[in-house]
This record gives sequence, C-alpha cells and structure tokens, in this order.
Amino acid sequence: MAHLELKNITVRFGGLYALSELSFAIHTGEILGLIGPNGAGKTTIFNVLTGVYKPTEGDVIFEGESILGKKPHEIFSRGVARTFQNIRLFSKMTALENTMVAMHCRSNKGVMGALLRTNSQKAEEAYIKEKALEALKFMGVVQFADSVASNLPYGSQRRLEIARALASEPKVLLLDEPAAGMNPSESSELMKDIARISERGIDVLLVEHDMKVVMGVCNRIVCVEHGIKIAEGSPQEIQNNPKVIEAYLGQPAAKHD
Amino acid sequence: MDSFIQQLINGITLGGIYALIALGYTMVYGVIQLINFAHGEFFAAGGYVGVIFLSFFTGLGYMETHPIFCLTASFALAMMYCAYLAIGVEKIAYKPLRKEARLAALLSALGVSIFLSNGLMLTQGVYDKAYPSELFQGGFNFGIITIGYLQVLIVCLTGALLVALNLLVFKTKIGMAMRATAQDKTMSALVAIGSNNIISLTFAIGAGLAAAAGIMVGLYYGSVRYDMGFLPGIKAFSAAVLGGIGNITGAMLGGLIIGMVEIFGAGYISGEYKDVFAFIILIGVLYFKPTGIMGENIDDTRV
Amino acid sequence: MSKKNFSIMVMAIITTLFIISASSAESLKIGSMSPLTGPYASDGTDIKNGVLTAIEVFEKQEGGIPGYDKIELFPQDDVCDPRNAVAAANKLINLKVVGVIGAYCSSCTIPASETLDEAKIVMITPASTNEQVTDRGLPYMFRMCGRDDDQAPAAAKFMKESLNAKTIFIIDDKTTYSQGLADGVSKNSKALGMNVVTHDHVNQGDKDFSAVLTKVKAANPDILYMSLQGYSPAALMSIQAKRMGIKAQIVTQDATFQPKFMEVAKDAAEGVYLTYGFTDPTTPEYKAFQQIYEPKYGKIAAYATYAYDSTIALLRAIKAAGSTEPDKIKAELMKLDFNGASKHVKFKENGDSGSSYIAFKVQNGQFVPYWDPAKGLIK
Ligand SMILES: Nc1ncnc2c1ncn2[C@@H]1O[C@H](COP(=O)(O)OP(=O)(O)OP(=O)(O)O)[C@@H](O)[C@H]1O
Ligand SMILES: [Mg+2]
Repeated sequence: MAHLELKNITVRFGGLYALSELSFAIHTGEILGLIGPNGAGKTTIFNVLTGVYKPTEGDVIFEGESILGKKPHEIFSRGVARTFQNIRLFSKMTALENTMVAMHCRSNKGVMGALLRTNSQKAEEAYIKEKALEALKFMGVVQFADSVASNLPYGSQRRLEIARALASEPKVLLLDEPAAGMNPSESSELMKDIARISERGIDVLLVEHDMKVVMGVCNRIVCVEHGIKIAEGSPQEIQNNPKVIEAYLGQPAAKHD
Repeated sequence: MDSFIQQLINGITLGGIYALIALGYTMVYGVIQLINFAHGEFFAAGGYVGVIFLSFFTGLGYMETHPIFCLTASFALAMMYCAYLAIGVEKIAYKPLRKEARLAALLSALGVSIFLSNGLMLTQGVYDKAYPSELFQGGFNFGIITIGYLQVLIVCLTGALLVALNLLVFKTKIGMAMRATAQDKTMSALVAIGSNNIISLTFAIGAGLAAAAGIMVGLYYGSVRYDMGFLPGIKAFSAAVLGGIGNITGAMLGGLIIGMVEIFGAGYISGEYKDVFAFIILIGVLYFKPTGIMGENIDDTRV
Repeated sequence: MSKKNFSIMVMAIITTLFIISASSAESLKIGSMSPLTGPYASDGTDIKNGVLTAIEVFEKQEGGIPGYDKIELFPQDDVCDPRNAVAAANKLINLKVVGVIGAYCSSCTIPASETLDEAKIVMITPASTNEQVTDRGLPYMFRMCGRDDDQAPAAAKFMKESLNAKTIFIIDDKTTYSQGLADGVSKNSKALGMNVVTHDHVNQGDKDFSAVLTKVKAANPDILYMSLQGYSPAALMSIQAKRMGIKAQIVTQDATFQPKFMEVAKDAAEGVYLTYGFTDPTTPEYKAFQQIYEPKYGKIAAYATYAYDSTIALLRAIKAAGSTEPDKIKAELMKLDFNGASKHVKFKENGDSGSSYIAFKVQNGQFVPYWDPAKGLIK
C-alpha cells in the first residue's frame, strides 16, 4: 500500500528540469532504494517530499492526503523525517540536545511553563530526554550524548543525524546517502541498523551510491536519471535492467561529491 | 584603597545594569542578525511603567505594608509590558522586512526608536518623573565605604536574572530551541521549531530584562526621563559588541567591563573622558579580536 | 504633461501663493529657539511657554500690534546643539520673523546670533548667561537674564561670607555655560582665599555620578559646587550625594532654579543653596504673568519669566517703532524702561539688562531668598 507517494512531479529551476513527470511510491513496511547518477535529482526528490521545494507540477500524497504546499515543519510533524547528504547538525550543541530539539513538535508546553518550571513541564522534559537517549542508544552513539556535535567522529555524526530523525517518531524516514564517507565495515554496520529501523515499523527511503549496500538491504529500488524514472523493481530486476546498467552501473562505481 | 573598593562597587552596579540591557541586543542579534536600535526604548518604557506602579502603590500606602509585593508586582508588570511591546514592535516593524536586505530592518529599527522615544515624550512629558523617594534609602557603612541598599538590590537582582536567563537558555527545551534557531534557522524550521515564536520570545526576554534595568535605574538614580534610553542603549550596545555580539556570556562580561571602565576612568583619571576610555577599550579589543571577547566565529553559541 | 496634471499643478501653485500672501498679510511673525527635545527639553519648553504667555497677554491687554491681526510664534527646537541652532536661525530668517527669543544654551545663542545678526534680526536671550553672548558687540543681541561674570563673584562671596567655606570641590558638565560659570567660581573663590581642591567634569546626559562623588567623599570639602546644565542632572547628583553620605554643603546655580528640582530630588534638595537673579513674586507684574501661566503650564520655572519679559520687551518695541525695520526696533528697545515680571527692564548699551544675583535656599520644597551680596542675610 502506498504510504508516501509522488504523482507526476515536475521540478524546474529556470530552464533546467530537475525532475520531470516523476511518479513512485513508498509502500508500508518496505525499504525503498533510490539510485541514480550524480545530479539525477535524488536530493531534489527529498526536498519535494519534505516540503522544502514546491514542485512546478504534480502532487505529493501522504497517508491518502495531499501534503503539497505544506510547510516543512508541518510535514515533519506529520511524521516524515530526513537526514541530509551534507551533515546538518546543530554543531555547537551536544548530541543529546540535537536529538531533543527534534522532539520539539512532540511537546506542547509553552514559555511560561519553561520559565516557571511547572511539574508537567519537568515531567515532559524528562520524557523527552529519555526518548532522546533511547534514540541515541538505538543508533549506537549514546556514549557521545554530552559531547558537542562537531567533536564527534564523522561516522558518528551521520548516525547522530539518523538518531535525531528517529527521535521525532517518524512514520517515514528519508536517508540521503547515510553511508557517504564511511568505510566498508561501518557502512555494513549501518545497513543492519537500517534494517532494524524498518523492523520498528518505519518505512525507509534510502539514497545510496554503494550498490552492494543498496542491493543488500532494499526490498525494492527506483532508478532515476536526468529527473526521469528509468526503472523500478526488485534488486534483481534493477541489476539486470539494461537502461540502469547503461545509465548507472556502467559508470565507474560510486563517485561522491 | 577605601575609595578603590567603593569605586569597584559603583562599577559593578553600573556594569550590571549595562549587562542587562546588552543581553537584549545580543540575543536579538544572535537569532535574527538585527541590531535592534529600539532596544534602549524598552529600557526607558520599563522605567516609566515602574514609576507609575510604584507611585500608585505608594499612594495607596501599600508600599509600607507590603514592600516586597509592591516591588515584585511593579517589576513583573513592567517586564511584561515591555515584553509585549517588543513582540508588537517585532511583528509590525521587523517581521515584514525579514526577507529584505538587512539595512531595511536596521533603518526600521532606528525609526521605531525615534517613534517610541517621542511617544514617551508626548505621553509622559519632557520633565523628569521622580520615583517615590522613601524606597530603600541609606545603606551599609564601613568607614568611608557606603554600600547602598539599592546597590545591593541591583546587584542581587541582576545576578538572579542573569542566572535565570542562563538556565533558560542552556537548560530548558525552549532555550535549546532558541539556540537551534540561532545556529541554523532552516534546519530548525525543518525540525518544526516555529522560528516566529522563538523570535518573539527572544524579543520578549530581551525587553523584559531591559525593563527590569529601567526600574532599577529609576530606583537607583531617583527619576526617569523620556530620553533615558539613548545613552545607556549605546553603552549597552557597545558592551554587546565588546563581549562578542550574539554571545550571552559575552554581553554580561562586556556590560561589566564597560561599567567598570567608566567608573574607574571617572574615578582615577577624569570624568570628562570616561566615555572615551570605554570606547578606547572597545576599539582596542576589536582591533585584536574583531569578533569581540567571546565571539569565536560566526556560528558560535549564540542566541 | 497631460492636461489634467497641468491644471492640478497650476491650482497647487495658486493655492500656495494664496496661502503665503494671506498669512503674511495678517500676522506678525516672531521666532523662539530653545531645546524642545533632548536633555534640556524641559527648560526649553518653559521658555516657549513663557513666550506664548507673553503673546497672549500682549494681545489681550495691550491690544496687539496695529496692522496685524495676530502675533504668530514659530518655535524652533535647537536640542542645545550649536549646529541645530544655526539651522534654526536660518529657518527663522527664511520665515522672515521680526525678532527671536532664545536660545537657552549659551553654546547655541552665540553661533545663532551671528547668523541672525547678519540678517539684522533682534535676538533676546532669556537664559544664556555666558559673557560672550553680549561681549562680542553684536548690535542686535540682547539679554534679559544675568551674566556669569556677575553670578560667579556673587556665588564665591556667598560661600565665603555666609557659609564660611574654606575648601570647594567644583563639578561642571562641560557646556559653554556650565564650564564658563564653574571657571568663574573657581577664579573668584581663589581670589577670596578659598581652596578649590578639585575641579572635575562630567558629561551631558550622565546619570551615574557615583565615581566623581566617591572622589568628593574622599576629599571631604566644605562645599560641593555643582555647575550642571539643567535641574535634572542637579537633582540626580544631589540624590546620589545624599545617599553616599556626603557631608559637603551643595551650592549650585541658576539652571537649577526649577520647581522640578525639588520634585525629583525631594529630601536631597532640602538645604541646597543656589544663586539666581532676584525676582520679587509679590509685584503686580509677576502676579499678572503667574495668573495666565500657571493654569496652563504648571509652576513657573527658571527661564519662563525671563522669556516672558523678553517677549513683552520685543513686542512693545515693535509697537513703538510702528514698523518692522530692525534699527527702529533696536532704538525702541534701548528706550524701554518698565517693570517686568522678573525685574526692572532697562537695556544697557551692550544689550545686557543687569544682574541681580542673590542666594536662595531650598526650604520645605521652595526656593526661599536667603542672602543678598549687598545686604547679607535676607530677613
Ligand atoms: N536549488 C536549486 N537551484 C537550481 N538547480 C538545482 C537546485 N537544486 C538542485 N538543482 C539541480 O537539479 C539537478 C538535480 O540535483 P540533485 O541535487 O537533486 O541531484 P542528486 O541526484 O541528489 O545528485 P548527487 O548524487 O550528486 O547528490 C542538478 O542538476 C542540480 O544542479
Ligand atoms: Mg544528492
């Protein structure tokens, strides 16, 4: 069943068509891979799904309802969380704070409560802290809870970003090249974590250049090139699709920018 | 030596007042990179709300029977009034310009400053308004040194407000949201932190602290006046820049330094040039450290 | 240009011309110049109010000026800033005023009068006491208040003879007026054998005097002489001095002669001495002024009375001259000899009208005449 769906999406930047007439859906319970060469439009798809870009044409459906034109934070609050290709942490805040901040939308106490330290306020903060620590633990970075984010090792910063997204209790998680910059053992470790995320009932959309990783963890894969969907199917089907081989697998593997 | 200690106490008192005002400049700058030139007017407005309520309570005779209540109520009312005033100013004069060039908001801030100070002049008159004088006269005498009760009150209250602000910013969820907004507005928006609320809150807190400073100044010096926001505003702004604009600890430090330099300059060199000394220190520090004492780099822990 | 735009423009020009000609035919224009905003706004407003009262009285009781429906005042705000004062002078010249009452700060009156004098416009200052105001020999410059070089000796003599002072700590705030007067007090006090322990300065607009007062406390002089521009800093300094437990007797000057001084300083004002031109509040002239002024503007303050007399003098001279020609007005001003609200008005050759400084003491929230340099203790 389609959980989060793109319908005939076109995104134009001036004369450039970053996406044209693109449609696909993330189904409940799956890990969907999104592949394509550099500049294919993968990050643009993320930005459309999370409300950062408004598509020139088309519609975005989440849980049967259009979320087109909704503000990024509204979409986030409804349960679509993401990570970034270039790490975007609050670099001067601790790992724990980074995670707690993302739970802002899950709380409702106002300023006066914060100032007066009401009991319900304290209880809520304690709850949020507990949830945040849980997310850090889940992603294996809890030992860094009180370290400033910019001091974390690179791989842990990536994991922290995922923990932050998880802390918001999302229904769909969009991961933009989470393994970029990791060594092979780190990235295979990460893939196991992604499988565990999926087991928690969170649907995952994964952008990844490393084919081994993608083929190993994804149930289904969508391949885009120049903003057009050129293939969609199981890992086997994609691996054997001549268009994909030509467009993507044919290239010298995994080049990062 | 006795004079030295006396001057030290004078300096801490004045510096504390500057620090309270400087925080508003620095917090607003931290969150929206705007130098809110109208900030000094919140300080003046606070002083006026204070004198209105304190005179009212004194007139009813409550000041003698319930001094703590009257004082607390006056502070609370003045701080709340100025907080809402600041929120209103932000919504009317700055928010519509948020996407425009920075200069537009800066000019708008100057306009608001003139508007507010003239508004005070028209509604409250050009004459000084006296604070009820019976409040907290006298002090502790140690030989030649006198520590006024008001100085004690100001130092304690300033200290308490600074601690409260630090707790709020560094220990609460809302403070976390403020710091997040200051660091990366787009990202905070993505994690559903309403930047409008945070900006309003920042203005409100800054103006509230300035209002508290306004009442303290009124109590300490005995009167308020419609244009009282101008000079302290400039000094506090300098303090914020000295400490590293955008940095809370820096603003407190900057305020104390400017207050001390002024008092010691006047006390040991000449009162004539005390402002000059303050600005020499400012220029000197900025020459060697353009981001100010605590300003590390552009995206330092700001609010 | 479209026909419509053109006709609108023509109409606008005609209306403007009509308004200009209509107004110039009806009213006699005079200007005033004083700080209406900024730190001295209160004293400046008193001056404006004094002038307005004089116009009202003159129109009602002396029948106005023949040939004019009314007398119109163009009050200018100089903010006690010399640049603004010169700009205000130029504006008044363009408005073609017949005479100007002002300014308040000596530092404004001096440059503004140079500009006005070139245009041959009479200027009468109700408040600028610096010697240079009349010592430059400008033909159209007059002064209703006293001179610092009369006030300073009176103050020194008072401190020596009445207060038996030996040591004096002087503080001024660096305006032409306050510093000039402080220098004069310092010179005269030394000449009388008193010791000026320190002559320190503060800045205009300062509120915190704790640093300089700590010095005063350490020096422990007999007298703290405050020469500050306006009642407001004087009140603040008195309060802070009292709070610090300073024993020195405070003596100050004419800028403090403002009932607001007591209103703000309250207890701290009690017992403060100041020198100010003697005005007898029991004369019929003073009472006539008081009757009109106080219901409208509140208690009479330092310079309102001088501003009132300055305006009455100017209007009477214009009426007597029967013309707005500068030299005729000047000639009539020199002939004036009348009892004003503040004092007996008779201009000398240099434009001064004499000083009558005496010492006042603040008692029960009032300025009470205390000591006269000629006669000693009053009463
Ligand atoms: N804000 C923008 N303005 C203009 N062009 C843009 C913008 N964002 C993306 N593009 C263009 O759209 C195209 C798709 O970019 P996108 O970042 O989505 O690719 P990608 O598939 O994520 O590539 P990579 O693998 O390098 O991350 C590129 O040509 C890019 O230059
Ligand atoms: Mg990308």
